[in-house]
Amino acid sequence: MKYKDYYGILGVERTASEDDIKKAYRKLARKYHPDVSKDPKGEEKFKDVAEAYQTLKDTEKRAAYDRLGKHQSGEDFEPSRDWGKEFNTQFNEGHSSFEGVDLSDLFASLSRGRSGGGRGNASFPIPGEDYEVAAQINLEDAYRGTQVALNLSVPVYDEQGRMRRESRTFQARIPKGATDGQRLRLRGQGGKGHHGGRDGDLYLTIKLNPHSLFRVDGHDLYIDLPLTPWEAARGATIEVPTLAGAVNLKVAPATNSGQQLRLGKRGLPKPGGAAGGEAGDLFALVKIVMPPALNEHEQALFRQLAEGSTFDPRRHFKEENANAS
Amino acid sequence: MQVNDILWLDRSQRVSISELVDLSGLTEGEVRELVEFGALVPTNPQEVAWTFGADCVVTVRKAGRLRADLELDTHALALALTLLEQIQSLEAELSQLRAQRPAFGRW
Repeated sequence: MKYKDYYGILGVERTASEDDIKKAYRKLARKYHPDVSKDPKGEEKFKDVAEAYQTLKDTEKRAAYDRLGKHQSGEDFEPSRDWGKEFNTQFNEGHSSFEGVDLSDLFASLSRGRSGGGRGNASFPIPGEDYEVAAQINLEDAYRGTQVALNLSVPVYDEQGRMRRESRTFQARIPKGATDGQRLRLRGQGGKGHHGGRDGDLYLTIKLNPHSLFRVDGHDLYIDLPLTPWEAARGATIEVPTLAGAVNLKVAPATNSGQQLRLGKRGLPKPGGAAGGEAGDLFALVKIVMPPALNEHEQALFRQLAEGSTFDPRRHFKEENANAS
Repeated sequence: MQVNDILWLDRSQRVSISELVDLSGLTEGEVRELVEFGALVPTNPQEVAWTFGADCVVTVRKAGRLRADLELDTHALALALTLLEQIQSLEAELSQLRAQRPAFGRW
């Protein structure tokens, strides 16, 4: 098994007092706790910190840990047979192999040993573990509903009730109606319960992959609608892509940059809209775009327009100036 | 999977206080305290049998974890939850503004 330096993880000396260990844990927990940390590695770091604290805060477990000796972090090692006997772990029963056992499982088994044997021997109901996972999906999949494959590290128990973590792939159905940040609870889709305990639940947080055309706000979608100056001036019928295919959008004459044109119910469907009801809207944001370079003909036409038009979009500047003087 | 096995954890769905207790590992007393401190708001505060938006499931589960992992009392928990809620609503506002802002420089 791989050695983990619990003291190093908490940043304390091997001689640290209980109080120092607690303080170090609290400081790191505040920093890395996945519910408060913005660190993308926070969850992973917090797991190590919590694992180290679970062992070191308990006098008996800490003594057992200390007796494993000093190793390099990540170094492969195996506790001695004597160690197993002395601390009476379930790994000491019969074939005392520590193979494939994680250091955290070993210390978890110590507390189970104290409370009367492993999970396999227990007769009281033990609920299955809840799993919390982020499901990364495309906007099109959120629109239609989709099936995702989720990889999870889950505890599995052998016939002796010994726990190991294994990577498992789960299929989860995400019904249509989801949007970015949406959370779902899939009842009974978590870890299996034991001895009549209920199965755990699967908690999903939906994360939408960025889309090349649409931006998402709740169930509403936004798309940039580039218009030529003459389309904006004269009005036009423009083909706009939506998640259900292209639709024609009528742009009124004298449309300005920054205007939002609403396409009702062309956004993401809302939950519970099985009857084909509620959905968000799609907003097209007008942006008037100049050709990068005008050819001679275009230049002549614009010159003609400039000479023939009396329109002044900055009239209020002059009015302000006149008022000020 | 049956559709009724899926709970949307948002305000469109309702859950009872006993469901919040079951799903969070908090006691009913603690859930009531979180209501008292303003970290949870029932949809029907005037009535005896409170119901909550299903988004509260996320809040109470977070509360359960924070209480266990950071050893917080209910008052500190309520404060932490309220601040986290504020951060979340600011982030939502930010992402709304980002969605509504045209992407410049593409044309």
